[in-house]
Amino acid sequence: MGLKFLVVDDSVTMRRIVVNSLKNLGYNDYVEANDGNDALAKLNADSSVNFVITDWNMPNMTGLELTQAIRGDASKNNLPILMVTTRGVKEDIVQALQARVNNYVVKPFTPQILKEKIDQILANL
Amino acid sequence: MQTPTNMSQIFDKLNDLKDIFRFGERIVPIIQSLISFMRDVVPLLESINTSIADSTSQMPKAANQINNVTSATELATTEILDLVDDISNELVVVDGIFQKILEKRSKKDELYKKLFETLNKDSEEYKLINEIYQLDDHNGIFDDIKSKMQKINDDTYKITLSLQVQDITAQQLAAVTHLIEQVHGKLASLVNDIEHAEIKDKITDKHIVIDEHVSFDPNARYDKSEERQQTVDNIVDDQKRKASQEEIDKLFS
Repeated sequence: MGLKFLVVDDSVTMRRIVVNSLKNLGYNDYVEANDGNDALAKLNADSSVNFVITDWNMPNMTGLELTQAIRGDASKNNLPILMVTTRGVKEDIVQALQARVNNYVVKPFTPQILKEKIDQILANL
Repeated sequence: MQTPTNMSQIFDKLNDLKDIFRFGERIVPIIQSLISFMRDVVPLLESINTSIADSTSQMPKAANQINNVTSATELATTEILDLVDDISNELVVVDGIFQKILEKRSKKDELYKKLFETLNKDSEEYKLINEIYQLDDHNGIFDDIKSKMQKINDDTYKITLSLQVQDITAQQLAAVTHLIEQVHGKLASLVNDIEHAEIKDKITDKHIVIDEHVSFDPNARYDKSEERQQTVDNIVDDQKRKASQEEIDKLFS
């Protein structure tokens, strides 16, 4: 089964950049969400999504809360989650890992880093 | 009839009174200068209050302008992304045309090859057709065009990636707005504590519109160095190692 990404970010610009990067890497199947709440709704509506790329700082529901919500849901708790955020301090990274994100990319990212982290996550599934 | 002792006490009291008067004579000028100082300083304090009130009332405007800057940059970034997408799409079209040209070129080469096989190498016809073939050989130019197209494609993608700066500055600006909102709140409450209706009205009329659910990173920065991601990777590896070790320890405990 191919990969279908859910790209979650409140910034339209960032969503487009992530989507463009995914397309450049050959991944053309994706859906977008503008915050954690929207992401959960999209996940509930579309069971074919099998990879989540999320920002941390978003209104209504943050990426961290989204991760906790996904991990707390038995039907989705194995979904790979890649956090892509500006937050680069150790406490934040540890907090994200404790919430069980699969990997962590700090913005501004390069396509090589994005590819490397996606590949690492897929290799460890 | 008063006794000498009583008289002595009266004189003592009179002496005390005299001391008090002397002290009064010394203190009165000080009190006078204090009153004079207060007379000077009160308008100054009022002016400071008014300045604080003015500054405080300007803060919602400043915060609003920052929000406008964020919206404007997001709009401009979207327009740039649209243009970059247009260029990328045009490149795809040009690449399609280019592929057709190359296919035709390949067929042409086959025809030339067949033609050359039918001719004697020393004949005039062979030399003439070979000359035409050499003039028609654009392989070097095609390679140049192909590499230029690839470069344009790579550069447009680099522009796209550089636009991540918009999200990062938006978070920095959100942090500034939040800071202004906090200072505004503190100053407004300070000025409200001073009974000055005119100033109060000036401040309480204006509010900073802040989205309660906003989330931002005050330390967001546009740092393209690889060290930052490397630091993140080291922390991730370190934490994952710790987690694995804990799982192993649990198994053996």
